[in-house]
Amino acid sequence: MAKFEPILTAQISDPRQKSIDTYLKKGGYEGLKKALSLNPDEVTAQVKASGLRGRGGAGFPCGVKWGFVPKNTGNPIYLLCNADESEPGTFKDRLIIENDPHQIIEGIAIASYALGVRTAYIYIRGEMYLGAKVLNAAIAECYQKGILGPRVHGSEFALDLHVHRGAGAYICGEETALIESLEGKRGQPRIKPPFPAIKGVFGCPTVVNNVETLACLPHIFTRGVDWFTSIGVPKGTGPKLYCISGHVNRPGVYELPMGVNLKELIDEHAGGMKGGKLKAVIPGGASAPVLTADEIDVALDFDSLAARGTMLGSAAVIVMNDTTCMVNTTVNLLKFFAHESCGQCTPCREGTPWSYRLLSRIEEGGGSLADLDLLLGIARNMSNGMTICVFGDAAAAPIQSFIKKFRTEFEEHIAGRTCHGLVEPSPSPNHSALPGSMPAAISVRS
Amino acid sequence: MGKVTIDDIAIEVPDGTNLMEAARKAGVEIPHFCYHPGLSVVAQCRMCLVDITGIPKVQPACNSFAKDGMIVNTQNEKVKEAQRAVMEFLLINHPLDCPICDQAGECKLQDNSFGYGQGGSRYTISKRQYPGFDRTAIGPHVVADMTRCIQCTRCIRFCQEISETGELSFQERGGRTLVWTHEGRPLDNEMSACAADVCPVGALTVKEFRFRARVWYLEKANSICAGCDVGCNVTVESKDKIAYRFLPRQNFSVNDHWMCDYGRFLVEDFNRRDVKAPRRRATRDGDPAGSFETISFDAAIDAAAASLLAAKESKKRIVIVAPASLPTEALWLAKKLAVEALGSAEIVTFIPKGEKPHRVKNQKTWAEGIEGVPNGAGARLLGLAESTNLLPEKGGNPEVVLVVDGDLASLSQDPNLVKNLRKARTLIVLARLDSQLTAAADLVFPLAPHTESEGTFVNGRRRLQRFDRAFLPLDGNRPAWELLSRIGRLFGEGFSFVTAAAVFEAMSAAVPSLGGITFPSIGSEGISLEPKTAGAAPDPKPAPEEKKN
Repeated sequence: MAKFEPILTAQISDPRQKSIDTYLKKGGYEGLKKALSLNPDEVTAQVKASGLRGRGGAGFPCGVKWGFVPKNTGNPIYLLCNADESEPGTFKDRLIIENDPHQIIEGIAIASYALGVRTAYIYIRGEMYLGAKVLNAAIAECYQKGILGPRVHGSEFALDLHVHRGAGAYICGEETALIESLEGKRGQPRIKPPFPAIKGVFGCPTVVNNVETLACLPHIFTRGVDWFTSIGVPKGTGPKLYCISGHVNRPGVYELPMGVNLKELIDEHAGGMKGGKLKAVIPGGASAPVLTADEIDVALDFDSLAARGTMLGSAAVIVMNDTTCMVNTTVNLLKFFAHESCGQCTPCREGTPWSYRLLSRIEEGGGSLADLDLLLGIARNMSNGMTICVFGDAAAAPIQSFIKKFRTEFEEHIAGRTCHGLVEPSPSPNHSALPGSMPAAISVRS
Repeated sequence: MGKVTIDDIAIEVPDGTNLMEAARKAGVEIPHFCYHPGLSVVAQCRMCLVDITGIPKVQPACNSFAKDGMIVNTQNEKVKEAQRAVMEFLLINHPLDCPICDQAGECKLQDNSFGYGQGGSRYTISKRQYPGFDRTAIGPHVVADMTRCIQCTRCIRFCQEISETGELSFQERGGRTLVWTHEGRPLDNEMSACAADVCPVGALTVKEFRFRARVWYLEKANSICAGCDVGCNVTVESKDKIAYRFLPRQNFSVNDHWMCDYGRFLVEDFNRRDVKAPRRRATRDGDPAGSFETISFDAAIDAAAASLLAAKESKKRIVIVAPASLPTEALWLAKKLAVEALGSAEIVTFIPKGEKPHRVKNQKTWAEGIEGVPNGAGARLLGLAESTNLLPEKGGNPEVVLVVDGDLASLSQDPNLVKNLRKARTLIVLARLDSQLTAAADLVFPLAPHTESEGTFVNGRRRLQRFDRAFLPLDGNRPAWELLSRIGRLFGEGFSFVTAAAVFEAMSAAVPSLGGITFPSIGSEGISLEPKTAGAAPDPKPAPEEKKN
């Protein structure tokens, strides 16, 4: 593979990149021009051919998603850009939004042209105030230059774009909850069917695409489908933004070909481990099952991680060294899920706080071995179709994976009332020692 | 149409029928909380999960739709496991306070726990509390207790979709989610108590009924609300001859699953009994009050018949006032008494407008009640002359006036009307409640309310509706049809009725527009008397049966 050169993040360190003049000078909105010279179906066909998969978490092929939208229903079609980036450990969209907003607007314009959209929305997480400001400024510039409005780039195609700020709920990143929230309702997922492609926002056909997905579109049209498919792995094409955080020397966003090896990402790009040996990695945000140190020789793409029983999700790689207490980590994750559950479905509304309280009890030394089986039981009962959206599955995944892979640590907490988050890296990560034989160390957590 | 197999029972249903209704048709019960046939589908409670062949995950029956060839299993291990899980989740924070909960006995959580839950609980932590959100009246008729709420959102959807007032909503989220009103806007709409009806648990209860009776002791009878001419179908629930509550009874041609608060709380009035035995004014003329004597039924009947007979023989004016608050049978008997037994007595009916119009939701539109009585259409159907002042000036003062229902407040409490009626030499009144009218009367018969007999009303849309007897009349009180029959019998043949049904059958034979209808054939949903025209919309399809919850 030729040396990979960043595309999406190529210009983010240029402070002038936010302005449309700079963006245009550097060849911006050329992809849109090219797309406008094709007919909408050809645009969709090109996106399909590029193999671009949704970057929001599910990895659904973007062009196929567009294909679900019925044409000529008499209702308008809406495009929603999902900028409600709130999966713990994820901060890739924010980088583009705040530093290179026109890339997103161009992507939205291309997608809108392909889908026949007249009005599009960017639903941005409420906390990203700066991002909303930057986007609004960029949109205002676009209207001035005639890139948005009644004649996009001088063509017959008209597009209006609005920024809508969320009010701080994780669940609004779920597309149907996002739609509800955009409509001004309480942010909670809708039952499917009907799917958004048929009946989405305001009861009309709707496509929801992630920021990064849309940001890829201009480059597919300026550089061509062949260029895009030459990057990455066969079933995961194009550049990918990886957010790496935790115990690494250089945490941050890295743009790399889809399918980069996790080991390579940690050791070469992120500067290796900080303060201890690698213990665990969550490869795709809070809802992705954890990987142990032995499992990190894996390509970071949708299918390779699925084969390992986890997922790429939003590519939020959270790295933990051996001073990290796995029980504490699970408590932390479940605290988040218990706090963010929307509360409409019984299993998730009741199951997430219950699991959180059980886990806290274990962490505080009041748990019993039966609690572990109970936790697994709760996790099973709130996942796999038991709830309207996949939040239940997302909350179940850390419980199941952490208990499965680090069960002895949980057992030690229960029996020995000790914690593995030691100051000194333990000489041997041999977790099979009998409970009670562990040193009664005072834990200091990272 | 498509063939769907539910638990090995094959049925034909239209494509797109939701599986909940399809299962009902197949006679298969699918447990549920949030699903209600009158409200939108939200699939939140997850109790109705079923296994559909070909779909790997369990699916909510309420949001799955029948397709030809679909095979559904509602009882296999996968489904049972899901049901046990949902029941466990619902119960972990639900108080175990059934002994002091007024919903006990008609609680979906109790029923489903018994049917689909497990004996024990794995929950060992303290249960959730809602300080400040327990046992609080959130409106004039509804008391809320959030510790019991299972967040099914039925009440929220009721307020949004049916009453269109939106007082209730979810607040907070996750495990702290609660249903409450907004600051300064109580749950106060014309059908507010229905929000407590749809509540499957004891989170919302009706203030007027709370703690008055355990529901398993209550006997139920189909009845019709007499509050206005909408004629909402209701169930009267009673015990020991006390009517405790009205509940709306499903009828998609009249009131769907709903009724207004005004009609619902008329129930208390039916327990009032001022006139318990026949009474006669002991001293006539000039003695304003306090000089009534109680007499036996036979003596009272004789006295009434004697006055009527004397007037008839001396060809003096007799007026029978039969307000349209009376069942059709009593109206018809009053007319029969006037025309057949007394020869040329006048008969008038009284159809007051309602003080304020009452309304209820029916098939997404409002059914408005204009008249303050339930049987105006019945009176018109029988050809009774309407009168607003009851005694026209012409014709001179009558010898005898017989008021067949003296309990209609707009008649008996109107001083002018009473003054008019009092112009008669003898004023005979059938009444249950004391009023200006009974105070002015010479002879008062103890009347039983319509709930204590069978009979029919014809509502404003000309729908003939039957009501059943909730319980036998209290000692002494008698339904109007019986009193009229007994008086009529003294004048000749044709009044020997022993049941209201028999009166109806005789009326049906005599009145052409009722021709052919038998009392049992009216059924629990009534019969439209509107002539069937080609363009007219057919009666809505027979709807699924839904109990109180």
